Amino acid sequence: MPGRGLCVTHRFKPLDAKVPRTATTEGVGMADITVFTARRVRTMEASMPTAEAVAVRDGRIIEVGTLENMAPWLDAYDHEIDDTFNDHVIMPGFIDPHLHPSMAAVLLPMEFTTVVEWDLPWSEIGAVGGRVELLDRLIELDAELEPDAPLFAWGHHPIWHGDVDRETLNSISTTRPVIVWHRGYHSLIVNDACYRWMDIDLDAARRHPQIDVDRGAFFETGLGVAYRHMNSFLLGTERFRAGLDRMRQVIHHGGQTTIGDAAMGMYGFEDEWEHLKAVMERPDTPFRIQLMPFDMGPLGNDESDEAMIERILAYPQRNTHRLRFSDHVKMFADGGFFAELLMLKAPGHLDGRHGEWMTPPERFERVARAFWNAGLKIHVHCTGDLGVELVLSTLEKLQWEHPRFNHRFTFEHFGISSAQQVARMAEVGALASVNAYYVYELSRAFADHTLGYERASQMSRLGSLERAGIRFAVHSDFTMAPAKPLNNAWVAANRLNESGEVMCANERASLDAAIKAITSNAAYVLGLEDEIGSLRWGKQADFTILEADPYDVGAEGLRDIPIWGTVFEGEKFPI
Amino acid sequence: MISPADSIPVPIPVTVLGGYLGAGKTTLVNRLLSGNHGRRLAVLVNDFGEVNIDVDLITSHDGDTISLQNGCVCCSIADALGESLDRVLALNPSPDQVVIEASGVADPAKVAAYGYGWPGCRLDAVIVLADAETIQARAKDQFVGELVTRQLRGADLVLVTKSDLVSPKVLDSVVGWVHDITAVPVLPVNRGDVDPEVVLAMSRSDLHVGSARVATPDSPPLTDADAMFETATLALPGPLARARLEATMNLWPQDVVRVKGIVWVTEADRGNAQPHVVQRVGLRWSIEPAPTDIDLKTGGGRLVAVMLRGSLDAAALINDLVDAE
Repeated sequence: MPGRGLCVTHRFKPLDAKVPRTATTEGVGMADITVFTARRVRTMEASMPTAEAVAVRDGRIIEVGTLENMAPWLDAYDHEIDDTFNDHVIMPGFIDPHLHPSMAAVLLPMEFTTVVEWDLPWSEIGAVGGRVELLDRLIELDAELEPDAPLFAWGHHPIWHGDVDRETLNSISTTRPVIVWHRGYHSLIVNDACYRWMDIDLDAARRHPQIDVDRGAFFETGLGVAYRHMNSFLLGTERFRAGLDRMRQVIHHGGQTTIGDAAMGMYGFEDEWEHLKAVMERPDTPFRIQLMPFDMGPLGNDESDEAMIERILAYPQRNTHRLRFSDHVKMFADGGFFAELLMLKAPGHLDGRHGEWMTPPERFERVARAFWNAGLKIHVHCTGDLGVELVLSTLEKLQWEHPRFNHRFTFEHFGISSAQQVARMAEVGALASVNAYYVYELSRAFADHTLGYERASQMSRLGSLERAGIRFAVHSDFTMAPAKPLNNAWVAANRLNESGEVMCANERASLDAAIKAITSNAAYVLGLEDEIGSLRWGKQADFTILEADPYDVGAEGLRDIPIWGTVFEGEKFPI
Repeated sequence: MISPADSIPVPIPVTVLGGYLGAGKTTLVNRLLSGNHGRRLAVLVNDFGEVNIDVDLITSHDGDTISLQNGCVCCSIADALGESLDRVLALNPSPDQVVIEASGVADPAKVAAYGYGWPGCRLDAVIVLADAETIQARAKDQFVGELVTRQLRGADLVLVTKSDLVSPKVLDSVVGWVHDITAVPVLPVNRGDVDPEVVLAMSRSDLHVGSARVATPDSPPLTDADAMFETATLALPGPLARARLEATMNLWPQDVVRVKGIVWVTEADRGNAQPHVVQRVGLRWSIEPAPTDIDLKTGGGRLVAVMLRGSLDAAALINDLVDAE
């Protein structure tokens, strides 16, 4: 528990007892003011960048500043001084505007064996750098697990881990099902015990062009065959909720007090809603989730655009304290970045492969127009520069037809783009929510295998966005990147990759922009800038408590700043 | 017609309909669902909303499945093609054929993996539709040009739809342009109006002797199937050697767009001829043992060939299979 301060509180009575109090606060201790003092309060407000204390009542900030300046409040009302953070720095609660709790719920019960390290609340997992390391790790896990439990290991990538096949996994265990899952979810490899556990018809599987029975490998559509034998296990209520509960810990561990679920309902809307309510809507959950429904088009549906909009606009009626819908919606342009399904302009993929449209371009434009004209705030998943081009040219059309200000149209992920596209984005008022972490894990591999150096080194460009005055967030898209805002801000500001190279220094974000990307600008992207993202009167009392001020530490040290914990709506939640 | 031995798993033919948005896939799906072709089709579609079925023909509508009087069903793919496929394969009685309407941005060659790979299925054909009016412009579009071209390359058969909406000269140039992209047959059709026999495989009910689907040896050798196609019934005098049959399947030109039937096949290393189901679409063909529960008389068998009108005659096709006396 890094440097947790001793909590010393002092209670003060108002000096002037004549000041009237409202009936609702009379006699209720909850209504007292709590003043959190700190070594420094980093407000992320340009008018007063730093302060010494934050006064909070009923989960909301009533004033930020110095104890001296707060005197009119403190003289008027009961208050207590909480000096827990006198050796710490209070930051606005971190915001990760784009991740996927449900995908994480499927993945988090699995073992992580990726080429990069993961610091998860229940364990620190070292990088699994090569084939030998992967096999050693699997042997360890086999020894640790309950006898009959299947061993799901996620994170295999042939670029680093080489060839792993059925016989390799048989050498790990002949009795335990062992399943090795690709980092980008593109394939899985199983052993003979898994074939028995799946109860799969191997003769039928043998005829499938994307199942290699001898190697134990399932690819692409072959994965569908594997999933139908595994889904009842992976999506079972108990396991799924246990996974969501781990997700709860991950979010807290990263210092987030607000996250965005950027595609609510991927595994079935009502099921997910019930699971989220059961696991997340609890007094000990120190964050809120902004839920974003998505255009069902990519998954196929029969709804008219009007009916879809009506449905989306009705979701906020079911909001709970922590689970909230608004008028933000998600759409998808081209395929996944890790899966290398991005749509590229010339010269395309290095190896001649092709990306995919997740939504037909005509449908994309039609639905985007319907959303735009209904006043919704549109967020679009786009990964390649052709994907960006589709989204950008659509936005340009919509602005021409039906001009809007303050529309919050956001480019999500923003893998490959050009500086010229950034200039056009600025013209039409676009925002960006960027997966900066791509640079860390993928820039070297994509330079060598997918894109060549020039494009790969400029993936997730941020310097250009900053120079163009475009507000941007950085997100994790967890589990694509660790759900650790400081780590992702570190990548944004340094562009160091896992090989230790700086990839395109000119596309680094400034330290200030990198911090805004996980606080004030992330709030802006979610449309919550009046509620969260900085510290001033009236906002939610959401803090992330750090051992050092990022502005003192500088860009290089961002990811190493220890996090004490968070304050959510005025309540302390140490890690 | 369905015998108890239906439980013996016979792979169900899967046809993939591909092509970009607006190519006419839905029109063709509507035609297949309401057509009087005597097969129980299971058609998997992305979007129910556009399927237009006469309500009088609908016997039930249960969420993601519509059942029709003619025994066909139409299912929404929703979010998982594999699950939808499992759902229709589990129907009782099982469908004669599954037709998958691929999404407009899918690569149908990839979707085809569900046909040849999914348990209980075999791929019949990938049929890609191209809109005569727009296909060439689409192929130059910055967002979908490469995709549209790739869709055509994945086809076993290309149908150029809405050919009645362009001049003969334009149609010729479109067909020629598609031929430059792919070696498979390219057939112009009016709107989405395709003879179901071109699209559909031989069904189980076709296999039964006496079924109306297979012409008798006494039928005229050439019958009108459609203004554009004609059908030849090839009655075979005796069994064929596998090598000869396979060679012929490779030999017959593109103008023979579909071949289907039952042939008694002798193997090089075995004596007795066994009945086999023969299917050919474009340049893709298969020869598979006939299901054992089918009522077949021993003999040579017969093949039905659907070909472009006026392109070939039945005698020439038979000569390719059977040595002239």
